[in-house]
Amino acid sequence: MNNRDKEQHRIPLIFKLYLILILFTPSMAYAYVDPGTGSVIVTSVLGFIAAIGYTFRKYFYKLKRKIFGNKTEDD
Amino acid sequence: MIRNEKTDVASRLKANEGSFRDPTNRVYEIKLDTTNSGKSRIFRGLNEKELAKYTELSNEPFFQKLVNTGRVVKTEVVDATDEDAKSILLDGWYGVLEHEAIPFVTYPYEWTFSMLKDAALLQLHLIEKSLENGWTLKDASPYNVQWVGSQPVFIDVPSFEPWIEGMPWVGYRQFCSMFLTPLMLRAHLGIDHIPLLRSYIDGIPPVEASKYFTGLNRLKKGVLSHIIFPAKVENSITKRERDNAPVQQRKVRKFSKSMVIGLVQSLDRLIRKLTIKIEHTDWSQYDKTHSYQEPDFEAKMAFVLKHSSSSQSGHIWDIGCNTGTFSKISSEFCNQLISIDGDHNAVEKLYLSEKKNKNNNILPLVMNLSNLSPNQGWAGSERQAFDRRNKPNLILCLALIHHIRISSNIPNRMFLKWLHSLNSNVILEFVNREDEMVIKLLTNKKEQYEDYNLNEFIYEVGQFFEIKDRESLKGGKREIFFLTPK
Repeated sequence: MNNRDKEQHRIPLIFKLYLILILFTPSMAYAYVDPGTGSVIVTSVLGFIAAIGYTFRKYFYKLKRKIFGNKTEDD
Repeated sequence: MIRNEKTDVASRLKANEGSFRDPTNRVYEIKLDTTNSGKSRIFRGLNEKELAKYTELSNEPFFQKLVNTGRVVKTEVVDATDEDAKSILLDGWYGVLEHEAIPFVTYPYEWTFSMLKDAALLQLHLIEKSLENGWTLKDASPYNVQWVGSQPVFIDVPSFEPWIEGMPWVGYRQFCSMFLTPLMLRAHLGIDHIPLLRSYIDGIPPVEASKYFTGLNRLKKGVLSHIIFPAKVENSITKRERDNAPVQQRKVRKFSKSMVIGLVQSLDRLIRKLTIKIEHTDWSQYDKTHSYQEPDFEAKMAFVLKHSSSSQSGHIWDIGCNTGTFSKISSEFCNQLISIDGDHNAVEKLYLSEKKNKNNNILPLVMNLSNLSPNQGWAGSERQAFDRRNKPNLILCLALIHHIRISSNIPNRMFLKWLHSLNSNVILEFVNREDEMVIKLLTNKKEQYEDYNLNEFIYEVGQFFEIKDRESLKGGKREIFFLTPK
């Protein structure tokens, strides 16, 4: 009789523990979000814009040198 | 694989406790003698792939130039017949490199604004030069930069790796959180970067940083691109992935070299424009406002000169250095001089004047003596406490003790005990009660520190040190001592 009573009381406790675990699960999932994903998106957007500037600068200076020549060459 | 570090050379060989995250290599230190500032050899055990990569890298002219100009630490492959290297090979490594030892290890939370800025510019310079030659760097951490005098040197050679077409710049996020964000917080908002870097050991992430930039501050140089935009992206990813247990596979994006170089160059331009104003603080004008008359100042200088030049000093600390007036005198007589002060702007002034001399040996640091850099990181041993690193042969402790006792409330005995634990000679200047600086400190204070006087001090010093020389200054208001530890 006593043993059966004890078993009936045990199950609700496990249930309570399970409820507590569920409550804490959302914050635990943050640890699994990979910061690298955001970084790839950011670097591709910023990199795309930067590449335009970089390419422009490269050709601008090449053109400048062609038209005006290198200072040392002129001397 | 790596066994326990104890080998036949166990007593001298030590695996660096900060070097464990990369499984392909590990740093070791072998002390050649146990005296203060005793020499060490620094080795790096490599696996087969890393050794092959290094061999290829060391043949590249761009890399050789970086080493020859002192931007990257001098490195050599060590022959297997070298006795010290053998112990590292026994630990399971395929090959061994030897690096030139850095005289004193420091961490970014001890550097001034301009030191962090110059370290950031060095990092970007290395990435740019590498990309131009088909290489790149996989990390971007200020812990990979150390200092020889006032020159930054890059030490993490395995960070170099061949550039693969289409690869993104994986170090961008780390560069932002560890270099760019602290610099921007300081330059744009006047926020002290040092306590932040001490606590955020992996740097300040964009979501956190964005909380500091509100309103019109968001429009300041670089903030929208490198803090607000990344923070928004990370927030939206977190919201999306938080409740979906399986993380979504990242879409593969192709990166061209011009995207990465373009981004690196734009960061270089941004960082060069970040500046701070050095406002007058109590100490940043020391050379103009110290309380000495000329003859007494000369006498103090002569005493310091006499004892700095006679000590066999590999390594000197100047604690409470202000703008480095006495550091500069003593630096001639040692290999490395560490100048420490809690006032950022005073140390910044010293750094800016010293960095112009390429061969100088003064390393300026910002640190509050009543709150030394502690043991940090994993198991509290990844980053060493300040007084657990190389010890000095001589310590300059000039016009400091009255601040320790009266401003910081640290009893003289405790301060002297700590000083003694460093097992070094000391030049110490005691500032007496009659001195106008002490009078200033004691004004309006309830506690009058009656135990703070010259006789009491001499008694306390005698518990820990021998007084080898002493001289009165400013007509008895100050007393300067040369002490050797008992």
